[in-house]
Amino acid sequence: MILATVLGETPALPLHTAGKYVAGAYIVLFALVLIYVAIMAIRLSRIERDLGELLSMSEQTPGSKPAGAEHADEHSHDRQDPQPESTLA
Amino acid sequence: MYGKGLRTLSIATVVAITTALTLVFFYAPLEAEQGFLQKIFYVHVPLAIIALCGFVLGGLLAIQHLRTRDPRWDMRSYVVIHMSLIFAVGTLITGSIWAKGSWGHWWVWSEPTLVSFLIVFLLYATYQPLRFAIEDPERQSRYASVFAITAGAFVPLNFIAVRLSTAYLHPRVLGSTSNLPGPMALTFLVSLLALSLLFATLCKYELTAKHTRAQLRALRRRLAGETTGVPTRPRSAAPSLHHATAPARAAGGSAL
Repeated sequence: MILATVLGETPALPLHTAGKYVAGAYIVLFALVLIYVAIMAIRLSRIERDLGELLSMSEQTPGSKPAGAEHADEHSHDRQDPQPESTLA
Repeated sequence: MYGKGLRTLSIATVVAITTALTLVFFYAPLEAEQGFLQKIFYVHVPLAIIALCGFVLGGLLAIQHLRTRDPRWDMRSYVVIHMSLIFAVGTLITGSIWAKGSWGHWWVWSEPTLVSFLIVFLLYATYQPLRFAIEDPERQSRYASVFAITAGAFVPLNFIAVRLSTAYLHPRVLGSTSNLPGPMALTFLVSLLALSLLFATLCKYELTAKHTRAQLRALRRRLAGETTGVPTRPRSAAPSLHHATAPARAAGGSAL
């Protein structure tokens, strides 16, 4: 409805001539970003899987603390991490 | 923290891209000669500018890496060059589409601007294989930094050489923005800002992802009981964040 209104208000675009080239150029940009997002989604799922493995490893470690304490310990590790984070220059 | 400000940056990018697209299609007037086809200008030229600036920035970050030996700078240089390569692919494809629509050919070998950009692209296409070919992380990052600095210096020299050459076919853009009518110049600048924000956002996403992976590896080592020694990792073109831990600590910095 809104799209139809906007298109109704705008001048007719010459899609029959140069339109296919313009559309192609913008689709390329969109596709590149989409591919990147897909790659990031795959990476995210891998990180999630690794995190799950680490959680099960920590639970299997002899003398490991209860789940709540484990999480608290992880946070303290984050704070004492010898590789603290930094900002992008 | 690499993820800090990522949400704000992402929102700003989405807003800027939406604004740029609105201006391109509903505000900027049609160009007299090329008509609607000229709309490619608003995506092709910013992509090219950002890609070239990214290559130079990668060289500057590599200088910082060689000065400090801090692997964080190598990681930043790697990510910026990696992202610039993606933008360069976009530039080449959109440029070819524009050339086909405007000149009737996908590629014109006699045009110095096109060929010089292709040379720069091919030069940087060897960056990742170079990194991958070197197994020792310390040497890999050092050689990659030298490459990034040399190639980064080549980019402006190449640009100047092309500008000095007598080319009449390819439209001149940089330096002639003031010749554009107001609405076109505004649209171009907003497009440039939007794609610059996209570049920065994607770089930040990449850095955050790599940092998170490094933290997970560190946690895995800790849980596995490894406390000393340089961790083994599969051969990769991506920078190692562990080999220069000692100098970084000594400098009061960090391994990341």
